[in-house]
Amino acid sequence: MAYLADAVPVSGVMDQLSARIANIVLGNPENAPVIEFTYHGTTLYAETDLLIAFAGEGAILDVEGESLPSNRPLFIPATTTFALRAASGCRSYLAVSGGWNVPEVLGSASTFLTAGFGGIEGRTLQENDLLHSNQNLSPLAINIYNYYKGTKLNYPKWGAFKESFLPKWKKVVRVIPGREFTWFNAESLLAFLAEPFTVNIRSNRMAYQLEGPLIKRSKQQELISTAVAPGTIQVTGDGKLMLLMADCQTTGGYPRIGQVAAADLPICAQLKPGDKIYFEEISRKDAEKLYLQQEKNFIELKASIANKFA
Amino acid sequence: MQLTPLQSKLFKIYYLSEKAVTLEFGNEINENILQKISHFNSNLNKNPFPGLISTVPAYTTLTIFYDPVIVINNKSLSGLDCFERVSNYLAELELKDHQSESSESSLVSIPVYYGGETGPDLSAVSNHTKLSPEEIINLHSSATYKVYMIGFTPGFAYLGGMPAQLATPRKATPANTISAGSVGIAGVQTGIYPLTSPGGWQIIGQTPLKLFDASRPKPSLIKAGDMVKFDSIGAEEFKHLKNNSDAATSY
Repeated sequence: MAYLADAVPVSGVMDQLSARIANIVLGNPENAPVIEFTYHGTTLYAETDLLIAFAGEGAILDVEGESLPSNRPLFIPATTTFALRAASGCRSYLAVSGGWNVPEVLGSASTFLTAGFGGIEGRTLQENDLLHSNQNLSPLAINIYNYYKGTKLNYPKWGAFKESFLPKWKKVVRVIPGREFTWFNAESLLAFLAEPFTVNIRSNRMAYQLEGPLIKRSKQQELISTAVAPGTIQVTGDGKLMLLMADCQTTGGYPRIGQVAAADLPICAQLKPGDKIYFEEISRKDAEKLYLQQEKNFIELKASIANKFA
Repeated sequence: MQLTPLQSKLFKIYYLSEKAVTLEFGNEINENILQKISHFNSNLNKNPFPGLISTVPAYTTLTIFYDPVIVINNKSLSGLDCFERVSNYLAELELKDHQSESSESSLVSIPVYYGGETGPDLSAVSNHTKLSPEEIINLHSSATYKVYMIGFTPGFAYLGGMPAQLATPRKATPANTISAGSVGIAGVQTGIYPLTSPGGWQIIGQTPLKLFDASRPKPSLIKAGDMVKFDSIGAEEFKHLKNNSDAATSY
């Protein structure tokens, strides 16, 4: 977030929960570079032995017809071809022991597609791209690698228990009322918190357009442009909702009806056009408790991995 | 449902997200408020609280981003939750600040080659304003502009202070490609496109400087609170500076 004042968005992974889990189970730093896939279809070839981990509901990893489980280390021997098959979500993450090796720009390995910098040449990955991992493994990562390496495909029966991080009913997204919540009429506010909204095809890493009951104003006034953040839900002039995501602009002038609880952003990251969600109100105090609890869960996950492979 | 913002003399504080609060200094775009924001921003950056990550100035607000895990665990901050702790810190910082000296703002000089191929809409502006191209260039380059905020795209500065006579509406049909460095007018605003993109501003010239370069330690040439002047240069100097644009970050 260091360059927000220069209008450089946070960018980075859309589903932080999945990406962090994929890194933690390999003994990587949580924010080690990962590959973000949108949907499926990619085929990958292991030029060398690989210890990888895969997380996120956007795809399922497949080796010659065998589905590989997510949220745990996977040992892939050299010359294996593996691919991403369809699943119900939107995005998935591939982590490798040591993290993927990309140059840092502005202190980050992330790709900012809109401005064309970061990651691999500021662009999406293309056919025949060759990716390397960082050679600097932590002692923990080395232990995990050595535990699972061998001559054939290998992985544990255990996996990180992702369900402990997420609420049970995944189509409900909790929101804190936004600063301009009272700019909208009562009927619209009730509809916002009771009716379903559908993700429109005009959705991407910057923002999702959501369709549902039109949200109408009780006050006609203009908002002077001010900072916004991923999770901010803006209401545009035509009464439609824009849910800002990882690559969103740093400032905006549309009134804000709500802020998605940080703990529920991973749910949003897995939405695709056609998906329906409901919004439920949460207080800022409860949202903060949820966030801090989720961070505690990460610390516990890291501790149990460290214990297992000490 | 905490919708009433917390208040101090200088600003109101409201919650933006688990990791951010926004300070509201007023509800008008003017230099007085800009000055207050710049001053407080400077003061806060000199006296950061544990967990502060960055600040984003805008026309009437200053937003403060922080790490909630550090804030909630730090013993020197008081308050039941992060919002309270950060708000208390900011309100106290404001109380303790008795200085009315103006904060560091730089005057940044931006060389511009007006007209020609790099300023294709100069004649359109001339037609609309009924001023000659020379008069437009003189007016545009003699004003001192204030930077209200950087937003919309990396390095894009929202400038205030363009002489009213230069106001020209945006193009009805935006151009497909506006080169990085293009200087334009849209309504009463003037600004520079830091990156090549489509756009609807009337382009009257181009600067050889790179407004935004991700490889520089300070990637953006200008920041909120700075003053900007445009300096008219000729074609030769434009070519020369463009060739050295990596070196020409300080002009």
